[in-house]
Amino acid sequence: MPRTENDIAIVSYAQSPLLRRSENTETEMMLSTVQGAIKAAGLGKGDIGFTVSGSCDYLSGRGFSFVANVDAYGAYPPINESHVEMDGSFAMYEAFVRLLQGDIDTAVAAGVGKTSNSDPATLYTIEMDPYYLTPLGADVASLSALQYRALLDSGKVTERDVAEVVARNRRAAKDNLNAQVSGDFDVDELLAAPYVRNPLRRHDLPPVTDGCAAVVLARGQKAYELCERPVWITGIDHRIEPHLPTMRQDLTSSVSTRLAAEGAGVASGPVEVAEIHAPFSFQELIVREALGLGDDTEINPSGGALAANPVMVTGLLRVIEAAKQIAENGRSRTLAHTTSGPCLQQNLVCILEGDQ
Amino acid sequence: MTDTSIADPSNDMEPFNLQFPFTRTLGNTLSTFFSAVAQGQLIGVKVGGRVIAPPLEYDPETGADAGSEWVKVGPRGTVSAWTYVPEPTHLHPVQGPFAFAFVTLDGADTPMIHVVEAPEDQLRSGLRVEARFKEGDEVNGRIDDFVFVPATDPSPSEGAGEPYQAPAEPEIQTMDAYCDLTYVDNAAPVTRVWTQALLEGKLVGRTCPQCGRTFVGAVSLCCVDAIELDESTQSEMPQTGVVTNFTVITPVPYPGQKETEPFVRCSVMLDGTDAVLGQQTIVGIPASEVRVGMHVALEWEPEGQRDVSEIGNGGHGSTGGAVVGWKPTGEPDEPAENYVDRMM
Ligand SMILES: [Zn+2]
Repeated sequence: MPRTENDIAIVSYAQSPLLRRSENTETEMMLSTVQGAIKAAGLGKGDIGFTVSGSCDYLSGRGFSFVANVDAYGAYPPINESHVEMDGSFAMYEAFVRLLQGDIDTAVAAGVGKTSNSDPATLYTIEMDPYYLTPLGADVASLSALQYRALLDSGKVTERDVAEVVARNRRAAKDNLNAQVSGDFDVDELLAAPYVRNPLRRHDLPPVTDGCAAVVLARGQKAYELCERPVWITGIDHRIEPHLPTMRQDLTSSVSTRLAAEGAGVASGPVEVAEIHAPFSFQELIVREALGLGDDTEINPSGGALAANPVMVTGLLRVIEAAKQIAENGRSRTLAHTTSGPCLQQNLVCILEGDQ
Repeated sequence: MTDTSIADPSNDMEPFNLQFPFTRTLGNTLSTFFSAVAQGQLIGVKVGGRVIAPPLEYDPETGADAGSEWVKVGPRGTVSAWTYVPEPTHLHPVQGPFAFAFVTLDGADTPMIHVVEAPEDQLRSGLRVEARFKEGDEVNGRIDDFVFVPATDPSPSEGAGEPYQAPAEPEIQTMDAYCDLTYVDNAAPVTRVWTQALLEGKLVGRTCPQCGRTFVGAVSLCCVDAIELDESTQSEMPQTGVVTNFTVITPVPYPGQKETEPFVRCSVMLDGTDAVLGQQTIVGIPASEVRVGMHVALEWEPEGQRDVSEIGNGGHGSTGGAVVGWKPTGEPDEPAENYVDRMM
């Protein structure tokens, strides 16, 4: 289909090293990554029509760090800027919508997370329901374990299926230079590991990662001016379910992912590669089913969130990995999925396409 | 498994404990629920043909007001999913191993997430549990006023599903909430350079090769040009300057506030540069006599007594406990046109 001025593409991307512990601040990671993506598109900071980032002050424990991060944009003369306290992929969605207004033709979206400063076993209690869950210290691993238990009890998957997800992601991550966790693992040995939150084992949890990623979007003809092979965002949708996991229709089948997949038009063509954002291993199986993907779709050639999990960045990395498949690997239609909130509360699906 | 280069742990700063106590107002639905909990009674709300427990203010299916058709639920219920916490954190309500579980209370149609105190090998879907309430002055009217334990009698709860008559004025109207998180940040390279210079009695700054602006403090980038400023752009800065801006702060007591009398925080532009240090202390004169244009010189703490432990990343020109403050030199004031754009 010929592209119109309402079509929006990823024209460049960049990411920082993904480290267990970076010695740099969020702002420093942002500087090299955001400016790196802008430069990769052949642009300068003054050429960007809209700038938006996703981050969370509670990760680094530094109040107003999202304001300090504006230093990485060179925001003088003043720029058009926004921020979401969500993954950078949701920031990208805002940039996409902003571009549709038609008055600007470039935007940059970034995600950054210095997660190594905090303890995931306690931090995420404050994202839960403040009356019914936070006072119980309800941690994200425990809630995910309850979802995993419900999935096992449904009979849809076994612990072995889930261990195979871990082994496959870690094996795929061997080819990902940015992976923090990779290698060949025996499924039986994985199954012999002790539970940290029955039925979750340590390898079912994501690693702690510091990092940053950014994409530059361009609208219509501008995309062809900035790169040889624009990665067109031909469908994007984001759905949300009730905050309390116990109020969801069914924790073992992600309704919001299914609706987002329908909205993004997943089924209107073959999907060669899907990058799924599943911070807890078993969630990949729930998402995969909800996306309606067949066996011919390659899942997470990057190793996914189990290979590196810079919170607020992991979803945008899925978009970048799916975009790379088109820009650098000759694929023509890929999918990126990202999630937010406890037990897959929110889900975003986007379809990326290259020109034939 | 390969963990790529990890930052040197010796650069970790002191743990930082983030706490903030606050009081949440509850509104009618939550007030009614927590007031019932304080009486040892669990309730739900009937909406859209089902009983939601604990009650919500809205029907999650439709978004409609859930109303106030209260229903007694529990105290016994049935586990439908569970996980086990072998090593609780300080935020968990019990300090030994316990389970989190989905518990559907008798009389309710939806499960709640709560604590079950039971050995791991007893846990299973279908396990009958009962609420055990705190007593006496341990009762707060909060969700952690009770935990579940295996039911001694698995039979259906008496009175579950019957209407609950709420008091006109529920007793529990607010909830004390508390945040208690510990962070360990690590000193960025530029922060280490800045604090080391302070320990040696020096101020250092970095000058942007593109715009010529100089930034003093733990700053590794030009925020105007968005370029990195590495150590090659660094030089030692003068220790005299001009007050370009100030405010007099009358302290109100809050946790961590050490000041009791009105005090000054000012910006100081360093002589011969365009670099400004913010949030500086003036010493030697009363707060009422501080003015812009005043020439000042830096007074250091004695060598060996300079404390830089509270200087974090992004403190920019923070001098922490390395200096006493800036002392007026007595020179004639600087004309305003020489610092008019350098207020911060
Ligand atoms: Zn500059």
